[in-house]
Amino acid sequence: MKNVITKTLVAGAISTAMLAGAVQAEVTFVSWGGGYSASQQKAYVDTYSSGDVNMISYNGGLGEVRAQVESGSVQWDIVDVLASDARIGCDEGLFEELDRSMFLPSPTGVAMDDDTMVPVPNDCVVPQIWWSYVPFHKADAFSGDQPSTMQDFFDVEKFPGKRGIHTWASAITEMALYADGVAIDDIYDVLGTQAGQDRAFAKLDTIKDHVVFWSAGSKPLDLVNSGEVSMSLAYNGRVGGAVLNDGADYVTVWDGQVLEEEWLVLLKGAPNRAAAMHFLVHASSSQAQADQAKWINYGPMRTSGLDIMQAGEPWFNTGVDIMEHMPNTDEHMSGGILANPDFWADSGQAINDRYAAWMAK
Amino acid sequence: MSDTSITNSQEPLLTNDGVPLKESLRKSLRRTKIRSFLLILAPLSFLLFMFVTPIGSLLSRSIDDIQINNVFPQTFAQYEQWEDKSQLPSEEMFAAVINDIRVTIKIKDSEGNLIGKNLLGRSGTRMTYEYSGWKSLISKTVKEALKVDKKSKEDVKPFKWEAPYKEKMIKRDKRWAKVEFWQSLGAMKDPYTMGYYLNAVDLKYDANKNIVQKEEYLKIYNTIWVRTLKVSLMVTLFCLLLAYPVAYLLATLPMRTSNLLMICVLMPFWTSLLVRIVAWMIMLQQNGVVNDTLINILPCFEGMVNLPFFGATNIDLCFSDEDRIPMMYNFTGTIIVMTQVLLPFMILPIYSVMKGIPPSYMKAAQNLGATPTWAFIRVYMPQSVPGIGAGCILVFIVAIGYYITPELVGGKDGIMIGNFVAREMQRTLNWGLAAAMGAILLAAVLILYWAYDRLIGLDNLKMG
Repeated sequence: MKNVITKTLVAGAISTAMLAGAVQAEVTFVSWGGGYSASQQKAYVDTYSSGDVNMISYNGGLGEVRAQVESGSVQWDIVDVLASDARIGCDEGLFEELDRSMFLPSPTGVAMDDDTMVPVPNDCVVPQIWWSYVPFHKADAFSGDQPSTMQDFFDVEKFPGKRGIHTWASAITEMALYADGVAIDDIYDVLGTQAGQDRAFAKLDTIKDHVVFWSAGSKPLDLVNSGEVSMSLAYNGRVGGAVLNDGADYVTVWDGQVLEEEWLVLLKGAPNRAAAMHFLVHASSSQAQADQAKWINYGPMRTSGLDIMQAGEPWFNTGVDIMEHMPNTDEHMSGGILANPDFWADSGQAINDRYAAWMAK
Repeated sequence: MSDTSITNSQEPLLTNDGVPLKESLRKSLRRTKIRSFLLILAPLSFLLFMFVTPIGSLLSRSIDDIQINNVFPQTFAQYEQWEDKSQLPSEEMFAAVINDIRVTIKIKDSEGNLIGKNLLGRSGTRMTYEYSGWKSLISKTVKEALKVDKKSKEDVKPFKWEAPYKEKMIKRDKRWAKVEFWQSLGAMKDPYTMGYYLNAVDLKYDANKNIVQKEEYLKIYNTIWVRTLKVSLMVTLFCLLLAYPVAYLLATLPMRTSNLLMICVLMPFWTSLLVRIVAWMIMLQQNGVVNDTLINILPCFEGMVNLPFFGATNIDLCFSDEDRIPMMYNFTGTIIVMTQVLLPFMILPIYSVMKGIPPSYMKAAQNLGATPTWAFIRVYMPQSVPGIGAGCILVFIVAIGYYITPELVGGKDGIMIGNFVAREMQRTLNWGLAAAMGAILLAAVLILYWAYDRLIGLDNLKMG
C-alpha cells in the first residue's frame, strides 16, 4: 500500500514537472477569440518558427491581468488589449516597458514607433490593428429604403426592429451624439460636459425600449441571424469575416463607425519573457501585420503594412480585394469617429457608471 | 491471582511496563488526537487557503484605502487644514501635492526598479473613481517630472519647478483651478473607508465626509439589490412549486419508474450550464421555437362580427408577428432559465427527506378519519419541512450570487448584482467596490441563515 502511494506521488510530481516544463517553453498569447484570433494564429503564430505559441481567449478588461501581476503568479505572456486598457495598464505597471530598439523597422527603414497610424501612447505597447464598431444588418432585412447613416440606426420608426448594442459606454455614446447632429470633431468636447452626456443619453433613450445587449463579439451575428434584432453594432471584422469567408449577406453601414486602436502588451513578470519578446518582434513586423489582413478585415496599425497590402491586391486569402472592406479607407473614414482612448481612460468610469445605470433601469 | 485483580484504591493502576494506566491512556489518546489532526490537516489547510484567506482579503479590500494614503500623505494632511472648501485651497496644499509626487517618484521595489510612476498610476485610477479627470491630471504632472532626464533609469531628477507652485500648476493645467477636484480628495483622506459600501448602496461622501445621496442618474445599485432579492425569491418559490410534486413522485412511485424519473432530473443537472442556457435561447427568443409554435397552432380569426350589444365589431384574434412574446434577454428570461437550472438543488433535498417519511403515517391518519388531502397537509407536509428548508436555502443562496445566466439571458432588466461585481472586477478595476458588494452578499446570506435558525432551527435542516 505504502509503495503504491509513494509511486503515485512520484509519478504525480514527475508529470507536474513535465507539465510545468511544457508550459515554460510555450509562450501564452491571450486574445479575443473567433475570427480575430484565427487571423493572428495564421499570420503570426503559424509563420513563427522559433518556438511554440499557445493562443487562448479572454473577454477583455484588465481584471485577470491585474490579479495575476499583483499576486505574483503570472500565467500569461502576451495580451491583446484595448486602447484605454493599454494606457491604464502601463500607467499602473501591469505591463513591461519594452526596449523600442528591438523592433524591426519598415521595409523602407522607418523605425516602428514612427510607422504607426497614431502616435504610440507609451513604451509598453506593440502595434496591432485598427478596428471599428459598425452597425450592420442582413441585406434582406428592410424592403425599400436601406439604412445608410448612423441616424438610421437610431431611427426605429423608419427601420423597425430591435437594435443590438454592447454593454459598455464607449463608442455607443459617441455614436449617439453623432446621430444627434454633433460634428465629428466636437464629439469628445461635448461628451466631456454634463450637458453633452445628458444629450447622449437622451438620444439613447429613444431606442431604449428596442435594444438587446451583447458583451461577447460573436453575439451580434447570432442576434442578427436569428432575427432577434434587425440591426446590431459589431466589431467590423466579425461582420467582414462572415461576409468574406462564409459569404454571409450582411451589409455594413460605415457612417458613424468608431475606430479603435488595438495593441499587444507583455505582462510584467511574464513567465517566458525572452521568448515572448522574440515573438512580439515577429508579430509586429510590417509583413506579419499585412498578412493578418489576409484573414480578416482589420487594418494594420503600421502604415507600411497597409502599403504592402495595397501593392499586393487582391490581398484576401480567397482572392478578392480587401481594401474596400477596411475601416480606415478614405471613403469609410469620412464619416468615421476616431476614438479617444485618453478620454476614456480618464472619464470612462463616470460615463460607464451612468451607462450601467441607464442599462439597468 | 486474586490479589492482582483486587487492587487497593489508593494505588494507581499500572500497565505492564509500570506506567500508570491513566498516564498511558492519556498518552495514547493524545497520539490518536494528533494522528486524527494530521489526517484532517490537508482539508483544514485547504479550507484556510481557499476559503478563509480569500474572504478575509475580500473583506479587507472593501475598506482599504491605504495605497493612496501612502502616496499622498502630505496632501491629505493639508486637506484637514483646508478651511473653506468652496474656495481653492492655499499654496500649502498645492505644494503638498508636488512634494508627495516628488517623494513617490523615487520609490524603488525590493529589486531596485523604480516603481514610483506605477504607484502614482494606481493612485490616479483610484482618484478617477471619485472625480473624472484625475488620472490624466496626475499622469500629466508626473510625465513632466520624468521628462527631465529620460536616459538615466537609475534615478529621477526632481522637478525643475520651485515654490510657489499654485500659479504654475494652474498655468500648466487649468483643471488644478477647479475646486471640485480638490473637494473629491475628501472621500479618500482616511486609510480605511466606508466609501465602497456607500457606493454599493447609491450613497457617497461629500467634501466634508458627510454621507449624501448620489446624483439621480448615477443611482443604480439599490435597484439592482432589490431586483437580485426579487429574482432569488421568485426563483426559489418557482423551484419549490415545481420540485415538491416531482420529489413526491420520486419518493412514492415504484422503484423502476422512480429511477427513470430520477434520471430525468439528473440528466440536465449533468449537462453543461452553457448548453442548457443556449437551448433556452433557441426555445424562447423572438423567432424561437415557442413563439413560432404559438403563431402556427393558435387559431387565427380576423374580420367583422356582428356581436349582440356591440354591433359590428372588428375582431383580430390572430397571434401574429407583432404579438411575439419577448421571453428572452429580459427579466422573464432570467427567471425561467434560473428556475430550470437550479431545480435539482430543490428536488434532491426534498426527495431525500420524503424518502424517510414512513408511508404508514399517512395510512394511520386516514384510518383515524382524515381525508387524503387533510392527512397530506397535516401529517405528510410538516414532516417534509426540513427538506423544503434545505432546498430553499440552497437555491436562494446559489441564486443570489448568480452571474452567468443573467449575463447571457438577462438583457437590461434581468441582470443581477453578480454581473456588477464581475463588471467592477474585470472592466473598471474598482476592486474595492466589487469587494464591498461581495461582502454585502455574504452578510445577506448569513442573515438569512440566522433567520432560518431562529424560525425553523438549523438542526431541522436536512441536506440529504
